[in-house]
Amino acid sequence: MANTLRLYLTCIRNTLEAAMCLQNFPCQEVERHNKPEVELKTSPELLLNPVLICRNEAEKCLIETSINSIRISMKVKQADELENILAKKFLRFLSMRAEAFQVLRRKPVQGYDISFLITNYHCEDMHKHKLIDFIVQFMEDIDKEISELKLSVNTRGRLVATEFLKQFI
Amino acid sequence: MAFFSSGSRALVEILTGLQSVERPMPVDHTLFEFGSIRYHLQASITDSENIYLSISTPSLSYEASPSSGLPEITLQETRKMYHKFAEIIEPAKEGYTLTLRLNFSGLTRPKDRTKAINQISLLQSVILSSQLKDMLASLGSSGTMKLVYNQRDPFFVSKTPVKISAIFPMRFRDDTDLAIASSFFQELQDLGSTSSFSRAPRCSWSPIPPPELRGEYVHHLTTNGGFVSFDILARHVKGWRAARTAWILLNFQSYVKYHIKCTRSYIQSRMRKRLEIMTEVIDDAKFRGNDESRKKLQVRKRSKRRSIKFARAKKLQKGFKAVIDKIKRLRLRIRVKGLDRFRRHCQCFPVLKLTMAQRKEQKYQKLE
Repeated sequence: MANTLRLYLTCIRNTLEAAMCLQNFPCQEVERHNKPEVELKTSPELLLNPVLICRNEAEKCLIETSINSIRISMKVKQADELENILAKKFLRFLSMRAEAFQVLRRKPVQGYDISFLITNYHCEDMHKHKLIDFIVQFMEDIDKEISELKLSVNTRGRLVATEFLKQFI
Repeated sequence: MAFFSSGSRALVEILTGLQSVERPMPVDHTLFEFGSIRYHLQASITDSENIYLSISTPSLSYEASPSSGLPEITLQETRKMYHKFAEIIEPAKEGYTLTLRLNFSGLTRPKDRTKAINQISLLQSVILSSQLKDMLASLGSSGTMKLVYNQRDPFFVSKTPVKISAIFPMRFRDDTDLAIASSFFQELQDLGSTSSFSRAPRCSWSPIPPPELRGEYVHHLTTNGGFVSFDILARHVKGWRAARTAWILLNFQSYVKYHIKCTRSYIQSRMRKRLEIMTEVIDDAKFRGNDESRKKLQVRKRSKRRSIKFARAKKLQKGFKAVIDKIKRLRLRIRVKGLDRFRRHCQCFPVLKLTMAQRKEQKYQKLE
């Protein structure tokens, strides 16, 4: 792993460890309702300052915290047109299968490629450190997968082009 | 890629089958290939030596094609190529452009017959290439014409005294297709300029239409994938190479589409695999999902299973005992408590004890 990526991921991990201290908190607006405050943003006193971690202009992570929920939004690196298409395709594929991840948001926050919403219920069901591991690994995997996909699409293109030109010889 | 081989596999299969059968059998097949090429094969028992093959191919250009039938050059080429075992029947069968009478009886060796069948399977590429030749000849020393092999994707052929350029306007339905195709075109352009493929036609890809297409309709030149052009020199169309080059170029667009389709499915399968790996991680994060608790759970489950097994065994044992007791009771004679003692004391019911020999000697009479 590149040093810059390691630092970026470590920073995200540390921020998540600090931010992920969630507790059950009923909605102050609607009686007998329990809603993620980070989504509703009805009571400013229940929200913490959002943290934006940037690796560069194209890669950044926004961590928004509230008393009972945390929202993590990511922007994935897209260096060229092919990477852009592959990233869009892959992230859409994952978003459509959000129920498999439980913490994945079906629609990303505006300006980002993918978002997670972790509530206090998720923290009660899962190990906190493993949840953070998942988020960090997810980011690593997405980068890796897109790079590998790009490489394999180009390799396939080269092989197919070779086969095509071989026909003339 | 077998899909783009110029020989028709179905034709080879049917003709080989017909040659290998001992008894002559009637055949009447109609086949479609590449959507627009139609074959008809006919053979009868009475005239078993002759097989009638009819073919219908779409015209490459509406402007240059004659009103009916094939151009003379195509017929000449066909005669030249298949004169040993086939002859053209005129007029052709209704609905078809060419009918051939095949007679393999002159070819005695099986090797020659196989070769002839393979040659016959190339009939469509021979027709198409000769059609192309005819059109290019009609163009004169220089000019450009539009060809329609696949109705959705027309392409252009431009002729100059030095070379012939095949120009393909590439259109794609979405961004993914475009990205995959762009990568392919880039590789094609790069590879074409290397020394290892110096004998192949030079390939170039540009987002703007080449100068040869100046004056064409705008809607023909509106593309999202740019223009791919191949420069064909005299050496690429020399002798038997002409048919092959024409076939490869006619199927170029289908080749690209096939590559896109395969790459899309590859990407999809890779994404599915990655999804599985990712979901494993989140499943592992659950309290029940971690290793220690999983082991504990497994131990618990095992102990539960054992206890269940023991309980079941005990129940079975009990049940088995009960059944055996019942059987014993049934087999035993009826006992009345104290009857033996009473019998011994009173001797009112004397019972004779007989040995087996005595029993045999004693004859009992059956009471009625």
